[in-house]
Amino acid sequence: MVEASEIESELVAFLQREVFAPQLAFTAETDLLASGFDSMSLVRVLLFIEKTYGLWIPEGEITGAALSNARALAATVSRLLHER
Amino acid sequence: MNLTELLDESAVRWPKKPAIIEGDTAISYNELLAKISSLTSQLQSLQLSPSCRIGLCYPNGIDYIALTFALWRMNLVVVPIPTESTDEDLFTIAATMELEGILSQKPLGGSAKIQQNCFFTRAEPATATDNHGLNIAFIRFTSGTTSSRKGVVLCHETIRDRIQAANKALKISADDRVMWCLPMSHHFLITIVLYLSQGATIIMARHVLARSFLEAINRWQGTVLYAAPFHYALLARDSSSLGISSVRLAVSTTCALPEDVSRDFQKRFDQPLVQGLGIIELGLVSLNTGDPQTRWNSVGRPLPDFEVRIMSPDENGCGEVAVRGPGLLDAYASPWMSRQQILRKGWFITGDIGRFDKDGYLFLSGRKTAVINVAGRKVFPEEIEAVLNRHPAVRESRAYGRVHSHLGEIIEAELVLNRPETDLDTVRDFCRTHLASFKIPASLRVVSALPRTVVTGKIRRVAAAA
Repeated sequence: MVEASEIESELVAFLQREVFAPQLAFTAETDLLASGFDSMSLVRVLLFIEKTYGLWIPEGEITGAALSNARALAATVSRLLHER
Repeated sequence: MNLTELLDESAVRWPKKPAIIEGDTAISYNELLAKISSLTSQLQSLQLSPSCRIGLCYPNGIDYIALTFALWRMNLVVVPIPTESTDEDLFTIAATMELEGILSQKPLGGSAKIQQNCFFTRAEPATATDNHGLNIAFIRFTSGTTSSRKGVVLCHETIRDRIQAANKALKISADDRVMWCLPMSHHFLITIVLYLSQGATIIMARHVLARSFLEAINRWQGTVLYAAPFHYALLARDSSSLGISSVRLAVSTTCALPEDVSRDFQKRFDQPLVQGLGIIELGLVSLNTGDPQTRWNSVGRPLPDFEVRIMSPDENGCGEVAVRGPGLLDAYASPWMSRQQILRKGWFITGDIGRFDKDGYLFLSGRKTAVINVAGRKVFPEEIEAVLNRHPAVRESRAYGRVHSHLGEIIEAELVLNRPETDLDTVRDFCRTHLASFKIPASLRVVSALPRTVVTGKIRRVAAAA
């Protein structure tokens, strides 16, 4: 089973590389919505999670809390993987 | 005629009514006209050629709308450019659409500042632009291969005609408040221009989260939703008790509506999602306001002014969909092809495969071409492959669409590599530099050879598969 910390670092790397501008000092605690994360970004991160972990995050889980930062998103992915 | 007349008429009838609400700012019809006038004077100082084509690379907002109408006021041609375009895309669009310049929110190389957050970059067309005597308002750039037609040309009168035809089904009025969340560079005519021509209020809803979107609908008492299945999936699975009782029409657009989204939305909000057939070449041909509950996967019956025919139907009645009616495109821009040359005996052949049921409801089942539909944006596999093939480690490639249960279609690509040890991240980085974000393949797969047709040896193309 993948650990939440591992998911977190993979998500941070993906978001930094593919979603946000390289110059943004991006960490696991960066506020996603305040940094310009839009619905296109959401689609891309959902596809990344699906491809990497074989998990499509149910729409009902896409809440303000889950999208507050990469750490919270990783915790959501980890919980859903454990629940499967 | 000029489309600005429609807005002028609305301003006479509803001068103080809010035309657009963005955040906490509301701008009335009169204020919108004043903003357009001020932009027009500023743009006039640029001394642009009569009827020249101007690219508009701007994010959603009041400024996007005001700039479009200001350019129309000056009888210039608007060519929308998606903001996610790369510099390479901008250069290609400017060259093939023969733009005299680009208006953008961010400065490009050699830009002149028009006002805060508005820059103009001159791009001399190689040849003097020829509009073939047409009163052109708008050209939608559609990318493609060297052999395909680029740029859908629409005149002021054409857009007016399709707005009138579409509103027989949409029935937008001054009582409507439309919640807006799609990119204006892709949706503008039978939407924004139509809403403003009827005195409706447009509410800019930039919300990623379902909860914030629902709160905005309730705050502004939105009556019309126009969004993609992805947005509706988020709304349908919201766990709050917020309803959408003010909404009278929820249109699902950009790609086919998945069954579970249709079902869950209806269950959660006790109202159906409505699909239609809207194509940039044609306007809105059909809208399923007749029976969206049970025939949730139909695009509806043709609107009163349109005729729809299935060509050479098979034993199940399936065949290519052909359409005729008002507001059909005036031309393709590059190379120039007139409406008369495009239509076959007055019919436009859509490339969509469909059938009618016994009550005249149209159902679409696929496409004849390999064009990939990424949330309503047409992407040609060849343009993805052209970029992939330029990467030194890639010998050849094949891009295709895959049906995704939540997103419509996504792009995937197969690669034949020169060097098997190549790190695919270098190819992904290369794509990010050279392709607009929505064109970047969601997955890359290394293969030893690509499937080819036996006779010509060309790469075998398939329409999107599940």
